[in-house]
Amino acid sequence: MNSFVIANSSRCIGCRTCMIACVVAHEGKRIFEIDPDGYAFNPRLFMVKTVKLSAPVQCRHCENAACKQACTSGAINIGNGTVSINSKRCIGCKNCVVACPFGAIEIIKTVEINKDGYPRKIASKCDLCQGVAESPQCIRVCPTEALSLVTEDILIGNLRQKRIDSLNAWL
Amino acid sequence: MVDSVKEIQTTCCYCGAGCQLLFTVDQKANQILDVHPVNGRTNAGKACLKGWYGWDYLNDPQILTKRLREPMIRKDGKKSPLKIVTWDEAINFVADNFKKIKEKWGPNSFLAAASARGPGNEAGYITQKFARAVIGTNNIDHCARICHAASVVGSMQTIGEGAMSLSIPEIEDCEIIFNIGYNAPVSHPIVARRIVRAKEKGAYIICADPRITETARIADKHLQLKGGTNVALVNAMAHVIISEDLLDHEFVKAHTKGFDEFWAIVKEDTPERSAEICGLTADDIRLAARKYASSKHSVITWGMGITQFSQGVETVKCCCSLAMLTGNFGHYACGTGPVRGQNNVQGTCDMGDLPNVYPGYQSVTDPAAQAKFEKAWGVKLDNKVGIQLTRIPEFVIHEKNPANRIHAYYITGEDPAQSDPDLEELRESLDEIDFVVCQDIFWNKTCLHADAILPSTSWGEHDGVYTSSDRGFQRIRKVLEPIGNILPDWEITCRIARAMGYPMPHYRNTEEIWNEVIDLSPKFTGATYEKLEKYVSIQWPCWDKGWTDKGTMFLHKDGYFATPDGIGILKTSPYHPPAEVESKDYPITLCTVREVGHYSVRTMTGNCRTLRNLEDEPGWVEISPEDARELGLKHEELVRISSKRGSVITRASITERVKKGAVYMTYQWWVGACNELTISILDPSSKTPEYKYCACKIEKLPDQKAAWAAVNKTLLDIRMNMHIDITRQGVSA
Ligand code: SF4
Repeated sequence: MNSFVIANSSRCIGCRTCMIACVVAHEGKRIFEIDPDGYAFNPRLFMVKTVKLSAPVQCRHCENAACKQACTSGAINIGNGTVSINSKRCIGCKNCVVACPFGAIEIIKTVEINKDGYPRKIASKCDLCQGVAESPQCIRVCPTEALSLVTEDILIGNLRQKRIDSLNAWL
Repeated sequence: MVDSVKEIQTTCCYCGAGCQLLFTVDQKANQILDVHPVNGRTNAGKACLKGWYGWDYLNDPQILTKRLREPMIRKDGKKSPLKIVTWDEAINFVADNFKKIKEKWGPNSFLAAASARGPGNEAGYITQKFARAVIGTNNIDHCARICHAASVVGSMQTIGEGAMSLSIPEIEDCEIIFNIGYNAPVSHPIVARRIVRAKEKGAYIICADPRITETARIADKHLQLKGGTNVALVNAMAHVIISEDLLDHEFVKAHTKGFDEFWAIVKEDTPERSAEICGLTADDIRLAARKYASSKHSVITWGMGITQFSQGVETVKCCCSLAMLTGNFGHYACGTGPVRGQNNVQGTCDMGDLPNVYPGYQSVTDPAAQAKFEKAWGVKLDNKVGIQLTRIPEFVIHEKNPANRIHAYYITGEDPAQSDPDLEELRESLDEIDFVVCQDIFWNKTCLHADAILPSTSWGEHDGVYTSSDRGFQRIRKVLEPIGNILPDWEITCRIARAMGYPMPHYRNTEEIWNEVIDLSPKFTGATYEKLEKYVSIQWPCWDKGWTDKGTMFLHKDGYFATPDGIGILKTSPYHPPAEVESKDYPITLCTVREVGHYSVRTMTGNCRTLRNLEDEPGWVEISPEDARELGLKHEELVRISSKRGSVITRASITERVKKGAVYMTYQWWVGACNELTISILDPSSKTPEYKYCACKIEKLPDQKAAWAAVNKTLLDIRMNMHIDITRQGVSA
């Protein structure tokens, strides 16, 4: 089963440390050495605030990912416990953006320039920091421990507990 | 690890939470390799975005401003061009001018502003020593004046100690948290963490705030009161506690006085009457009061939402009184929590950078204290309380008699031309003062008005001690070698002192200064560098140098207050409305707030790559959907906002979290600078400005393209004024 990161809104204080951690993880530490205009700031999780709720939203890494099915260029893969976008293959058609029920994918402007002189724009979303860090960096930096990684074991463990609770409810 | 790679622990430079950070540096390359939080007394291994990523300004990326690297003076008089000079020439220039002004107009024509930011306690001590011993005046102050001075004054007058009575970790063990005018998630995320944890442990949270802040969102009871009505609310709560007999009679009898006078005032403030003023229901006020009084582990946390009003001191007094009435002082997990904003604003108060006290809160009017400091410093000292820095306009442009005016202003590590209210008036005053010295790490708006600019080392480039908001002394350590012709603040001030003929000792390091501080301040005597090394954080009072005195977790043990007779005084005042209320021309109220990823005047965080990516110019004005609809505004569109004093452009943030009729602007922006609009009316006793309330109007800007062009033009001008010669991208929608 794929894992995913989820936020607990009653712990989230809306500070967005997670969003910076995401960019730093994907850009690497060089971000603090290069020209301040020389990189693109594209966090892969999005802070949402309503009257009642505050929490970042990010990819659920669906098992039958609608984005993968909608992708016209075969750029979206499932494997290694995640749904990932191959940025090289992405043509920016936005099908995945439309298909995603969580609003977790967006089209970003990269610092790369196409042959026609326009900046290259591609789909971007959470990759659970695979290949860039040991673990999702948003979870690591959160000052209130509002974010957690839901793995298969955790999900099953929760189910077991819920089932016990539902039985106990009869007592 | 390579030999030159070292790990160095220091305290975050951004807020009073005082998080502990671990730097990994390559000392040979003079480069930071990694920064992450480590376990400290207050932060438990966590940090917010400023702690994680806010050190980037040490790399000087020149986004908003640029580091100062050379001393500069206007040799040929006011308004003449700044010239780079040697330190000797700069020091002599400053010393000569200070001397001339002192001779001509007397010592009280001088005012110094100490820094509550990077320099640390040792520099703060030296700044006040300079004002008092070298110049001979108590005109020494710092930015607590514009934030928490009301907390210091109000708490001193009731419970005798102007600091948090409890410590930050205790908050999570409180049963009732009454949070008023305090937005911890934005100002101190690490304190907010304690509130979140308290809630998970079962605490009941009451949040009084005109906006739905993150704390209001998770609160059990949100009192969404109208701005500027805090006194009416807390008085009514006191009314309920007394009239419903929810008092701790024993505590009130044994440890307080002034009950009859107190009751005479709050008797009038029935919940019904206050409900009308505050826009709440009487039942909600009753519920809040009953809940608050129901526990011996109730805490009141507050911030600038109560202090930045002309009735700030009164609200603080009443909050302290609520805690006394219910016996919520003197044991674990209770009391009052005025949580200090900037990293070292508690420390700068501790060091006596205030017009009325020497280091360690020893009054300048107390002859014994005066004699002690006269002996230590070898000079006669003035026993008159000095003037506060918010009164600069009053003592400059509004003072007709030159003999009573301020003629020299020594500003260290502050940017009044951005942070003070009514900036137009402030700028006029700066230009009118004969001699202005700006000692800072960055080019800032005040530098533009300075006659001498003295570049200093920043946090990360020097050693020292900060005091966290909960009275915790903690070390800061040098991480990088400073670049350029710059010196630590304390050293600059010592050199000026010597050039003026005062025998300032040749301190070799900050520890030697600290030893002088603690030997003169009984409350701090036990907090030696040696012990700080071992214990990391020591909360004052810490009386004894022996290893067993580890400081004090909470104040007023067993109800014995820090007042001269140990008895607390119940105090409050009747409510009066803010100074400038809504009118036909200015129908909306403006309140200034802050942005979580930015700090103070933003010279530091505005020069941190990722923090500015998250939020950038021209800032935001939060407005209700109803008001936005009436004005025909769209989310994120640029608007013009004006008051009687000025007008700026910023972006509209339409949110249901604010009520109709009130708007909120973060004060950190340089383009959308809300202090062009705020009013310079002051609390009569703390002299804190009423930042949280003035009248304004908002206009739609039909030509958005032109508006963005105007914003970028202003930004370009700012960068040019700040001497950035690299072309930088502008901002856009
Ligand atoms: S700004 Fe405050 S809460 Fe954030 S890391 Fe620094 S000390 Fe901690």
